[in-house]
Amino acid sequence: MREQSADMPTVPQLSDQELLATRVRLPQHVVHRSFVAETVVLNLRTGKYHGLNPTAGRMLEVLDVALTVGDAVPELTNEYGVEREQIERDLLTLTRGLLERELIVATDDDAG
Amino acid sequence: MTTPVEDPPRAGREEYSRTAFGLALAIDARISLPGLGRSPHTAADDPPSHVRLDPDELNRRWEALTTTPLRARELRFGETVLLTVDFAEPAGYLMWADGFGRILISPDGTELLCEPEPGSNGWANILPFQALPLAATIRGLEVMHASGVVLDDGAVLVAGPPGAGKSSLAAALVRAGGQLLSDDAVALQLRDGALIAHAGSTVLQLRASEGERLSADDRAALGRHAGTVGEKQRYANDSTPDPAPLAGLFLLAHSDEQPAVEQLAAVDPFELIASTFNLSVRSPARLQRQLEVVSAIAADKLAHRLRVQPGVNATELAAMIQAHLAVVVA
Repeated sequence: MREQSADMPTVPQLSDQELLATRVRLPQHVVHRSFVAETVVLNLRTGKYHGLNPTAGRMLEVLDVALTVGDAVPELTNEYGVEREQIERDLLTLTRGLLERELIVATDDDAG
Repeated sequence: MTTPVEDPPRAGREEYSRTAFGLALAIDARISLPGLGRSPHTAADDPPSHVRLDPDELNRRWEALTTTPLRARELRFGETVLLTVDFAEPAGYLMWADGFGRILISPDGTELLCEPEPGSNGWANILPFQALPLAATIRGLEVMHASGVVLDDGAVLVAGPPGAGKSSLAAALVRAGGQLLSDDAVALQLRDGALIAHAGSTVLQLRASEGERLSADDRAALGRHAGTVGEKQRYANDSTPDPAPLAGLFLLAHSDEQPAVEQLAAVDPFELIASTFNLSVRSPARLQRQLEVVSAIAADKLAHRLRVQPGVNATELAAMIQAHLAVVVA
């Protein structure tokens, strides 16, 4: 993930299972646009731009509508045709990175 | 188009009307600003932005501040500070440029108060090169750091690092029949999903050695000679093109290979963001607009890479751009 600055806030450390059961959303102060080779994510609160590769950009799109982080895994597994464990590891890593940069937030909505 | 934008003179103050960077301007008659347009087509809503020579008012507003200004921008060459922009409500953006003076731009961009540096004859050049692009950014336009020319009713922009040859290429495009939009900065407006380019200053600055290589007719095509700044000759145009749809943004890059031009199917968005002009305004609305403009350039496949060797003939490059655009547009 490309970014303009490395001064990141800390976030509560969730276990993998807790994070998979968490619902995440893009907050109102974050906008993103997809380009051919990159997705640009802009945090309007901090004024920082971040760059995601196409796979991470697609993961962000799916995360934003999935009921939980874990619910995004099957769709991405089907889409990329790789092992579920690999997708899950990559998705958890990305989710933690996005949470740390406040580009997504864990919501209190009922995750079902 | 030469219809002037008229607005009523302010009481006790002589002003003349011009347009630049999509703004209607009412300029203090004591300030000489050649190369600005008279088009009735502007992007920002009324009122016009007033440009006034008023050091007393500038100082009164800035000294009345009760908060500490934030340094929004600082431009250096080595250890030497060349330009600063400080921001504080309610005064606005205070721009200082070494050798030029200070300009206070109101927070809404509708007023620019000028305090020239004593003894500086060319102080007003800071207006089209820095202060008006900042005012345009505040008022809702996105300014690209690029030379621009209107060719066949479309705006062709050339962006690249300092010294890359933007002005030389713009001059060659003018000699090929184009009309100069700006030598250094062009304002873009996203209107109904389309990008519209608005002229900045049509004063073109060319290295003296380059101007001397041109024929008299070619020099005349660039405009009337308007003096020398440093080692650059200035050519001023009295006519300015109307706003035009963006036909292409050519990103200059040095190469040891033969010159080549290609449409960028996968342009790096951060390269486009880096080609925008203004770093002082970081409001959420501006940042979002910046991203939308960059996104539109990419989505409409308007970005092109132009690889050039140092010292390559600008006339040949202009011909390459014209041929390339003819194919791409077709």
